[in-house]
Amino acid sequence: MNLRESCGIALGALRANKLRSFLTLLGTIIGVMSVIAVLSFVEGLNRFVSDKLLNAGANVFYVDPYGFVTSQEAWEKVQDNPAITLDDGDALRGAVPHASSIVAQAETRGTARYRDKEVRAVSIHGRGAGYELIDDLAIGRGRHLTELDDQRRRMVCVVGSEIADELFPHTEALGKSIRLGAESYEIVGVIAAKGKLFGQSQDRFATIPIRTFQKFKQERGSFGLAIKSVDQASMPVAQQEVRNVLRGRRHLRPGQPDNFGITTSENVLELYRNLTGGIFVVTVGVAAISLLVGGIVIMNIMLVSVTERTREIGIRKAMGARRRDILTQFLVESTTLSISGGLIGIVVGVGLALLAGAVTPLPTAVSWPAVGLGIGMSAMIGIFFGSYPAWRAARLDPIEALRYE
Amino acid sequence: MLIGIKDLHRVYQVGTEKVHALNGVTLDIEPNEYVAIMGPSGSGKSTLMNLIGCLDTPTSGSYRLKDHEIATMSDDELARIRNQEIGFVFQTFNLLSRADVLHNVELPLVYAGIKHEERRRRARETIELVGLTDRIKHKPNELSGGQRQRVAIARALVNKPSIILADEPTGNLDSHTGDEIMAAFLRIWQQGNTVILVTHESDIAAHAHRVVRMRDGKIESDVRQAPRLASGAAR
Repeated sequence: MNLRESCGIALGALRANKLRSFLTLLGTIIGVMSVIAVLSFVEGLNRFVSDKLLNAGANVFYVDPYGFVTSQEAWEKVQDNPAITLDDGDALRGAVPHASSIVAQAETRGTARYRDKEVRAVSIHGRGAGYELIDDLAIGRGRHLTELDDQRRRMVCVVGSEIADELFPHTEALGKSIRLGAESYEIVGVIAAKGKLFGQSQDRFATIPIRTFQKFKQERGSFGLAIKSVDQASMPVAQQEVRNVLRGRRHLRPGQPDNFGITTSENVLELYRNLTGGIFVVTVGVAAISLLVGGIVIMNIMLVSVTERTREIGIRKAMGARRRDILTQFLVESTTLSISGGLIGIVVGVGLALLAGAVTPLPTAVSWPAVGLGIGMSAMIGIFFGSYPAWRAARLDPIEALRYE
Repeated sequence: MLIGIKDLHRVYQVGTEKVHALNGVTLDIEPNEYVAIMGPSGSGKSTLMNLIGCLDTPTSGSYRLKDHEIATMSDDELARIRNQEIGFVFQTFNLLSRADVLHNVELPLVYAGIKHEERRRRARETIELVGLTDRIKHKPNELSGGQRQRVAIARALVNKPSIILADEPTGNLDSHTGDEIMAAFLRIWQQGNTVILVTHESDIAAHAHRVVRMRDGKIESDVRQAPRLASGAAR
């Protein structure tokens, strides 16, 4: 007897008990569903992170006093590191052949005002010229800030499109003066809209020249440096060049540790991967438990099915079914059952993921390996938990089976 | 010789007691015989039928079917013999309740490994033989008792077995329908098949041309007789 026959018999038996089959499958459905939903969510995050976060700052690394700190212990080591100054930035410029752009930057929050209108919680950046290369910012109208703006500490700014739209809903923003905190700045450029990230606007900022920022917003304290290497391959070389220059400026001897930190998006990505890895492990645990329960339910219902159909087994044996024919029939049946559960779980899980993607700011994407995993797992469950009932069916004595009432 | 049974014993263990269901049975059956095995319940006739039908193996003795020794065969070999050589007709029909007539009849061919198209064709032919072509898509519970037994007969015939083995085939039918079924067996025998009938009713046994009576696990008598023509056999 071939597999197609077995599948036909199995599907017929499942159709004959629709409600029971469905209830039997709940455990498998929930297990597979949760795996698919969570993995789709993680997959969505992954894609989102690599698309938006990484590509925006491709080949960029950051220098600050502390580096990428992920523990209390690490913090204690770096908390007394000296500040990064604008002079550090100037010294690096021209001294790092593999950098295409070196930009000093700092940030604060404040309110942007124009006459009686205001926008609260605006990110106010101070940035050196060339920032647009770092973040791939396109100018919408007007111009970017320049080196000259910086040198002369001009009172000018470029703003994100959201600020321009809210303060100047009906008129042109260019050339107007807005207040950022206590001072007035002339808008010389509006940055093209970038949209939202995790439901948060990326267009709610105002950027002023870094030396203007230093003068009015931050007389002391540390700056960060954003450095873009000429291409992907030269990232490590550029980092080494930066390290050499800074160590020289700080008179560090060989063997002494750096008293500044270099952070790449790779560091951030690594932390992110650890986090999602944690989510993954928890999900797999939860799914494993529901699949175990689902498997036991399937085994139970298959035992019931074997008992109920003792006579059928007897008939089939009298007609010449061998042990392995009966074994195959019931194995195929339990596997069909569990795979049906898996498929329903996949559909519901994917549905949930897509729904979550549609109604919440959470990014989701269907994870095809997870779909494969779902089908694979449910098939394994059917085979594993179906083995014992199928074996019981296969070794029934034909005479007793035929006599069974 | 189709069936050669020599000194067959079958002992069941019931609790601590041994039950000798068959106690030295010797019996030969030639091809195209029409044999009735009779006896009261507990006489061992069902045990004998199970052994002839290869559903069971003897405790001792020899059973040769077409010169193959059955007594020492494995489960799977017995399954193959049942599939190829035996066509069962049961008192309670024993049809698959969820399957339609066509699928019930083709069941032995499924286990014979015959391809779908061929199977369908042969099943249809056999169903036509028992006159149920217009019921081919019906389920057993949509058929009368007589029709169900005709489905069972078609199923027994479909793989062209050496022996048609019928266990009280009219036991669950009214006498008129029973006559129809007996007429069907007569036709089957006339077409050259070997028919073995197990019954406790002498009326039914009267259709056979040889009657084997059993008592206490032994053959009490083995008589050849002129068979009574079943009513409706002339059809």
